[in-house]
Amino acid sequence: MFRGLSIAAFVIVFVGVLVHLIISRPRADRLFGADRRARVLDPLRVLVFLLTLLFIPQKSTLAGALRRLICLLALLCFVVLFVTGFFPRLFFGEVISGYWLMLHATAAPVFAVCVALLAVMWAHNCRLDKNYWPWLKRVLQLQTTSQAEPEKHELARKITFWLVIFLALPVMSSIVLSMFALFGTYWQELLAQLHRYCALGLALAAIVHIYLMILTEAKRTAV
Amino acid sequence: MLTPDKTFAKGWTLGYFVGLLGFAAFAAGGEPEPKLGDVSDGSRSIAVHAIPLLAADPLEEENVLKITPEDELLLPFSTRLTCGDCHSYEIIGQGWHFNAADPNVPPGRPGEPWILAEARIATQIPVSYRAWPGSFRPAEVGLTAWQFIQHFGRHMPGGGIAEKEVTDPDAIMRQFVSGRLENNCLQCHSADPAYDQAEYASQVVRQNYRWAATGACSFASVSGSAVKMEDTYDPMMPEMVTDPELIPHRPTVTYGQSAFDHKNQVFFDVPAEAPAERCYFCHSHIDVTEDGQNEWAMDEDVHLTAGMTCTDCHREGLQHQTIRGYEGEDIVSENPLVATSTCEGCHLGTDSSAPQAGRLGAPVPDHPGIPPIHFEKLTCTACHSGPWPSPATHRGKTSRAHALGMHNVNTSPDVLPHIVYPVFASQQPIGAGYLRTLYAVRPDAKIGPHKLIWPAFWGTVREGKVTPMPLETVRAVVGKIIAAEKLSPSGGWPRLTEQDVTEALAALQKEIEDKPVYVCGGNLYQFDSSGQLSVEKEHPAARPYLWPFAHNVRPAAQSLGVRRCEDCHDTDAPFFFGKVAVDSPLDRERESATKMIKFQDISALYAWAFAFSFVFRPWLKVVVLGSCAIIAAVLLLYGLRALACVARALVGQG
Repeated sequence: MFRGLSIAAFVIVFVGVLVHLIISRPRADRLFGADRRARVLDPLRVLVFLLTLLFIPQKSTLAGALRRLICLLALLCFVVLFVTGFFPRLFFGEVISGYWLMLHATAAPVFAVCVALLAVMWAHNCRLDKNYWPWLKRVLQLQTTSQAEPEKHELARKITFWLVIFLALPVMSSIVLSMFALFGTYWQELLAQLHRYCALGLALAAIVHIYLMILTEAKRTAV
Repeated sequence: MLTPDKTFAKGWTLGYFVGLLGFAAFAAGGEPEPKLGDVSDGSRSIAVHAIPLLAADPLEEENVLKITPEDELLLPFSTRLTCGDCHSYEIIGQGWHFNAADPNVPPGRPGEPWILAEARIATQIPVSYRAWPGSFRPAEVGLTAWQFIQHFGRHMPGGGIAEKEVTDPDAIMRQFVSGRLENNCLQCHSADPAYDQAEYASQVVRQNYRWAATGACSFASVSGSAVKMEDTYDPMMPEMVTDPELIPHRPTVTYGQSAFDHKNQVFFDVPAEAPAERCYFCHSHIDVTEDGQNEWAMDEDVHLTAGMTCTDCHREGLQHQTIRGYEGEDIVSENPLVATSTCEGCHLGTDSSAPQAGRLGAPVPDHPGIPPIHFEKLTCTACHSGPWPSPATHRGKTSRAHALGMHNVNTSPDVLPHIVYPVFASQQPIGAGYLRTLYAVRPDAKIGPHKLIWPAFWGTVREGKVTPMPLETVRAVVGKIIAAEKLSPSGGWPRLTEQDVTEALAALQKEIEDKPVYVCGGNLYQFDSSGQLSVEKEHPAARPYLWPFAHNVRPAAQSLGVRRCEDCHDTDAPFFFGKVAVDSPLDRERESATKMIKFQDISALYAWAFAFSFVFRPWLKVVVLGSCAIIAAVLLLYGLRALACVARALVGQG
């Protein structure tokens, strides 16, 4: 069941991202300039642009550089965990084992630390402190702490961030608790199921979050 | 007048009904009537067996004689007739303990073979009538059925191949003298503490097959040796023997004074469930590495210590299809209890509408901290059976391989055959044969504990296939090459050199057409094209023979993994990296060993790397738990702040 559900979920998310990208992507003219040459190289320009997102800006402070590094490390670990965790299950229908498992267990603690640090560093910025839902503000007579207008996709980014942080807790705790001689076979299987399903949710939220981050950055860069 | 079509139709209809009637008559006649003891009335009390002793009339086999103390010639009783009077002997005779030579019986999971071991010719070779891969059929090593019984009948319950009429011309006369070894029901079912299985074995060694069951009973004694009598000896006319040297060796039965009651019946204490001591005669095991020969120093199986007996798990009905108790046995066994009589079946239950876990008081295991993947990769016995794994394998002895329990058995720890254990190896497929065609099912790759022997034999190679040489040829040739002073006084391997092997192969080359080879220690020795002795290491024909074992089961507190994961997942853990002794008569191979991992279909590098990763496991737990704490703190902090916002909004403070 998990395999079918995962495949369906990933297909839905990737198709959704693709459709959203087609609808709302910034135009190449605005991103790379209208007077660019060799427009056939636009896909390469997109790849280079994505690569530049990995760089630390020159005028970044130490804290900013650190944040960017931790983000990149988390992203790398996420990719490793995603591939090693889902590939055997989705493509071969097998439980993760062998070298896949060793790689997964090597990247896992690094990812755990990165997520914890990201939670500390980004939580304040990801507060839902703007006027995201005017109707809710009217109903509850809320006073938002920030009067700034929310950016496009800002709410979705913040929600996916909190989803990642929230789901990271059961993902990590379920697997580490199973390493102690506390739970018998029934609970071990339950913890494994919890780990799988929460990891699926985390992966989907992370994919959407990363997509929205790239989209936001692209729109900021666009002239 | 009937038309041709109607005549044809009427003829077919008539023929059909006649055939149907005939078939019904045949079917009714084919099913034997159940006998008195075949069907239980449901009472759990033991039926008292005060019964007459019966023997076959030697002049007319269908005529049954009742033995009385007044008989002029006291005959040994026949279990076929005495027990068979109330229990269907033919049905019982198809049971697992008797049907090894039946080619239509699926061999199932490979088990302990018979091991033909002769130090004089540096041979130890596994033989079995069952088609277990790696073992040899007796005929392949030149053993006729008669010779097979001579070698191994000591630890057989009779019946099967021992009861068949021999076809070997040399043995026909001998079988008349010795009789046939019938199914000996008492070998398992006698609860009489004075029933002497060692005496039974002695009678078999002396070829007193007709007298063996009687000789073991407490109310009778049998003297003499059929093996010493001439081919023309008539057991029904012992008075015809005139040679004074042969007279004392005439097989003779004497019944005790009080054996018969007032009705000339004899009491047999025979409960349906065989006592464990009876099973132990053929199925004992001793670890000679740790405990020497001292069975008192070795703990018994935890099930028996808890009060169970062998037949609680290894059950059978009238058909005597004894449950062997391994996973997947239901493919080859029709015993209805086979699925629920495995480790898992008793302790965890099977998929059924009613709960079945905890049979016979079996504790339902929790296995705390053991990831479920272990139960897919390992058998239950991997963690629970045999001795605790040590850096090197142990040496063991078994009843059937070493004739334990017999009179005057060689008790030296070094006597052949050399059985090495525990070897944690991937299990072999279950042989589910059908009408002489063996096919393997359930390629069960679970790792479990095995016993192992390294075959050593002289053979021939033709078109790449290695076949053992008949023992008679080997004895005649190689027996003269290996000098007496090289033989070990303890019965172990002679101390062979490559020079000895060269001489033996050269001598064999003169006797046979094909190319002679010697297999030992996993290697194959033969002459190369230049006539020099060459060795092929780890030759497929020299592969060791392994068979899974389950006893003795250790208590749960002594199971692998009970302390920590590093019981197995350590870079020098015996489970993966232990040394498996390579047993060989050659001097230069005496101390050699191979790694346990070679038997497990796992990459050694991966096993080592995975074990090494456990060094960092405590750090991983600390780091991840710490990260969880930080994340939980952040969620709590901002969650509480969000809750405060909501509370203020509900109160109306904004």
